[in-house]
Amino acid sequence: MISDEILKSITNIPAFPAAALKVMKLIDDPDFSLTDVVDVVQYDQAIAANILRICNSAYFGLRYKVETVRDAVMRLGQVNVIRAVQAAGVSRFYKNKKGYGLDATKLWEHSVGVALMSQILSRRFYNCDDSRLYTTALLHDIGKVVMGEFVDKSFLKIYDLVTTRGISFLDAEEEVIGINHADLGGKIATQWNFPADMRDAIMYHHRPDLMPNGGSDNAWLVYLADQACIMMGIGLGSDGLAYKGLSEAIVKFKLRQRDFEECIMIMLNDLGRAKELLGIV
Amino acid sequence: MSEIVVGISDFKVSNNAHDMLVTYALGSCIGVAVYDPVVKVAGLLHFMLPESSLDAKKAGETPAMFADTGIPLLFKSCYKFGADKKRMVVKVAGGASILDDANFFRIGQKNITAMKKLFWKNNVLINGEDTGSNYNRTIYVNVSNGKILVKTAHNGVRELA
Repeated sequence: MISDEILKSITNIPAFPAAALKVMKLIDDPDFSLTDVVDVVQYDQAIAANILRICNSAYFGLRYKVETVRDAVMRLGQVNVIRAVQAAGVSRFYKNKKGYGLDATKLWEHSVGVALMSQILSRRFYNCDDSRLYTTALLHDIGKVVMGEFVDKSFLKIYDLVTTRGISFLDAEEEVIGINHADLGGKIATQWNFPADMRDAIMYHHRPDLMPNGGSDNAWLVYLADQACIMMGIGLGSDGLAYKGLSEAIVKFKLRQRDFEECIMIMLNDLGRAKELLGIV
Repeated sequence: MSEIVVGISDFKVSNNAHDMLVTYALGSCIGVAVYDPVVKVAGLLHFMLPESSLDAKKAGETPAMFADTGIPLLFKSCYKFGADKKRMVVKVAGGASILDDANFFRIGQKNITAMKKLFWKNNVLINGEDTGSNYNRTIYVNVSNGKILVKTAHNGVRELA
């Protein structure tokens, strides 16, 4: 079975960057200080370099060049620092990867799009950003990064099931390969010792309705954000739009079509301004 | 041949025979390709949402975002290059939807409807169409001969006739 080969290959995935994990824990405490974040990230070269790069980008329009992580963190402010740290931590897993007919840049663009959209939805429903949700959204398709080459090899077989039987790409993937990219993502998250809620949101990102107890809000938000990016073609791959539309998502958040379209407009605008986050893969 | 990429909520018009207009990754968005074979002017629009009433300010800044502001702009921009509505060949692709029995996420379908309504009101016939379903499409417009190609993962590149 191809899935055995895939499951074996995930043991070779590098550990999740310790610095990004520590930051995730830090920000769970509402009273965390940016100084603590600085202490953690300055020893991760890749993250530190990316924070400087993001801070010195045209987007922030600073008049002088920021040279230290401490300066950068103070300049960027809380929300941007967390976003930059998590993006810099996660992006390394996308480097030189391809799959679903896409290169690393497009796979990454999709992840960033879903992460930004998750925050737009969170602000709309709960009036706040949610860093944990952001990181989860950034990682929702991590299974694709590993499965990509296998899916590309079996693409026509998978697609044939989608058209002849009208099943989702996710189910067809599982039938042909033995595992689907969401479950595989869950396994990678387990290997990284992720908290259970994040792991589950990754694992159920196409089917939050199948989660015990109706699914966590974050799983549903990742689901909604993902559907929005898929529909808008953000990093859209050979799997296309062949995923299940779950009306519960609309009912759960009392989402009107108009609100959803407005959120999509904001997401595309944010994505256009997030070139620096996109450029790090 | 140089490739001119049309981004999301964008459009391009060209009468340079060496150009190939292209727009990638159409999901629920729709690519509208127009061509006047006499003056050899081609246009390609990648609109994203059906109606500009969603956000009048945004529609002013980025008219190509919406069907009802983007399509008229595409035609008018072609007229500036000497194109004539009566001669223009119109082909469309995109407007895909996710697998949704209840039709809750209906942007793809709404885009198709808004576009067709507009064409119908303005007596414009669609000469070639590949819309709906659930796959990802890329459109190419060859400015030298007006040939329009649609690329999909399962069918490769095919002419949209």
